[in-house]
Amino acid sequence: MSEPKRLHPIAAVVNMLRQLKELIVPLIVFVVFGSSGDGGNQFYLIAVAGGLFLVFISGIIFWYRFTYRVEDGELRIEHGLFVRKKRYIPFERIQSLDVSEGILQRPFGLVKVKVETAGGAGAGEAEAVLTAIRKNEANEIHDLLVKLKKSTHAVEEGEQIDSKETVIYKISFSELLLLASTSGGVGVVISAVFAFFLQFEEFIPFDRVFNEVEQFISSGLVFISIIIFLGFLLAWVISVVGSMLKYADFTLKRVDDDLIITRGLLEKRQFTIPLKRIQAVRVSENLLRQPLGMASVFVDSAGGSALNEESSKVLILPIIKKQKITRLLEPYLDDYQLNFELHAVPSRAYIRYLLKGWFIAIPIVLVVVFLFRPWGYFSVALLVASALWSWLKYRDAGWRLHDGLLTLRFRTLVKNTVFMKREKVQSLTIKQSHFQTQKSLATIDAVVKSGHGGSGGKVYDLDWEDTKKIYDWFSREED
Amino acid sequence: MIPEPQTRISERALVVWRISGGISSLIIWLMAGGMITLGVIFDWPYWIIGVIFFIALTYSYVMILLLPKLRWKRWRYEVREQEIELQHGVLIIKRTLIPMIRVQHVDTQQGPLLRKYQLSTVMISTAATVHEIPALDMHEAEELRRSISSLARVADEDV
Repeated sequence: MSEPKRLHPIAAVVNMLRQLKELIVPLIVFVVFGSSGDGGNQFYLIAVAGGLFLVFISGIIFWYRFTYRVEDGELRIEHGLFVRKKRYIPFERIQSLDVSEGILQRPFGLVKVKVETAGGAGAGEAEAVLTAIRKNEANEIHDLLVKLKKSTHAVEEGEQIDSKETVIYKISFSELLLLASTSGGVGVVISAVFAFFLQFEEFIPFDRVFNEVEQFISSGLVFISIIIFLGFLLAWVISVVGSMLKYADFTLKRVDDDLIITRGLLEKRQFTIPLKRIQAVRVSENLLRQPLGMASVFVDSAGGSALNEESSKVLILPIIKKQKITRLLEPYLDDYQLNFELHAVPSRAYIRYLLKGWFIAIPIVLVVVFLFRPWGYFSVALLVASALWSWLKYRDAGWRLHDGLLTLRFRTLVKNTVFMKREKVQSLTIKQSHFQTQKSLATIDAVVKSGHGGSGGKVYDLDWEDTKKIYDWFSREED
Repeated sequence: MIPEPQTRISERALVVWRISGGISSLIIWLMAGGMITLGVIFDWPYWIIGVIFFIALTYSYVMILLLPKLRWKRWRYEVREQEIELQHGVLIIKRTLIPMIRVQHVDTQQGPLLRKYQLSTVMISTAATVHEIPALDMHEAEELRRSISSLARVADEDV
């Protein structure tokens, strides 16, 4: 595989379409505003045609100049017309491999391969993309990646080169349905319902005045809100169908020392992440799934860029009963003890959680009460909601240390439990304000690498003695 | 209490911080002067002028006298064989541990003010975070940079 090779010509088409997609808005603006004038019509037409021609040519040039090859254990990519760019990626530096089969690639038996590295000179630069190559070539790259690792293994242990494959998880249809209907799209529906009822409330005073005109307006409002509601409903159905297509056939496998995720119906994707490259394991329970006892599991990968969160926070279990996580994953994630029994924060911390919430809520309430005199008093309910929210945050905060593993649990909007190995933590900070010192509390903040930047966990107001334990655990100094 | 890190940053940092505090106060005073002039022209009540004056005065006191002192007092660091420990923060005390094996690179940086006082700032980068030790003596900073990078190199471990 050392000959420089071009991508399949379909890559040119893919590239053109991508550029067209980026150009579509300015193009429409250009055409719409351009055609309003009488004399300049032809000029605009020519300009648009010229633009399209340029896109067409640049797609072809991109394809023509783009070559890749595998040489000396490196993936070598060269491209660019005026500025020749070369990128050589050693296989042992690859953080993850993302193989996807788009609609354009599929008829030709092609795949798109995305290689993620931990480098991060700029956003979107930490990766190399082969837009369209034959499937067997992609497999060759994948095998090379695996073989390279295995050959170092085999030398060390002299063992048989034989890949071991275990399916850890496969999504069932009911889980898929649950996943799709409790994902982000639901937020849209809730806001739609809210909007609907808000409308309702607003036209009640209208109704009191039995004026025909106003009645007409109010029924118009009903009509409009129904239309809006239906619109949101439609959006929700689309989002459900969309995420069902996206996560259909979701399978998590462990092949040797890699986790392999495959998913998708229209666009098939395969994502490979070496176990060694996992920076942290994160269990998230969003507000809709938590009451059902469901959670999703992510792993943080050092690959991926700031623009592309999907490859830095890799979803490995999209939806699962929380109790099952430990049994399901622990055998396959080396050295990760997924224990959810955590130490809580001391009860004296609650007042701080409460005050922190009110710190934001009280000014809002004051302003609302002041501005909207009679109805504004209802905003006092915000204080109660905020207190409840703080209580949830307080109850969910927790920590655990076990051998080389730090577990932190905290709630932002979503309840997160993060498992971090000691050697993957980039830095650890404890923070203590004057008020915390008085109550002997402190905040702990551990950072792991995730994609371009950092992620990790931050728990407020732990017992000072506990923070000290964590700090000592992380410190390399013997004293 | 966990024992504090031992090394302090250069005492000349105080001077530099006071000067930069002075510069920013100067801008505040210019703005305050403008407001007070407006107040005199448009006959604002005296208490507004008083408040403006008071704000500018407090700002200068905090930025020139109080804050640099508190900051300097709090700032400590320690470079050990396997880790770097930092302590800083005026209202909130922050203690950070950075393992040597996580250090990716070390930079030193120097603005015109720092250069005049032979100081520089050391920036320690891990794969995910950047940490800064401000206003070290230039030679000390250079030394620190060299020692950190040599210590970091010993542990050649991947991300």
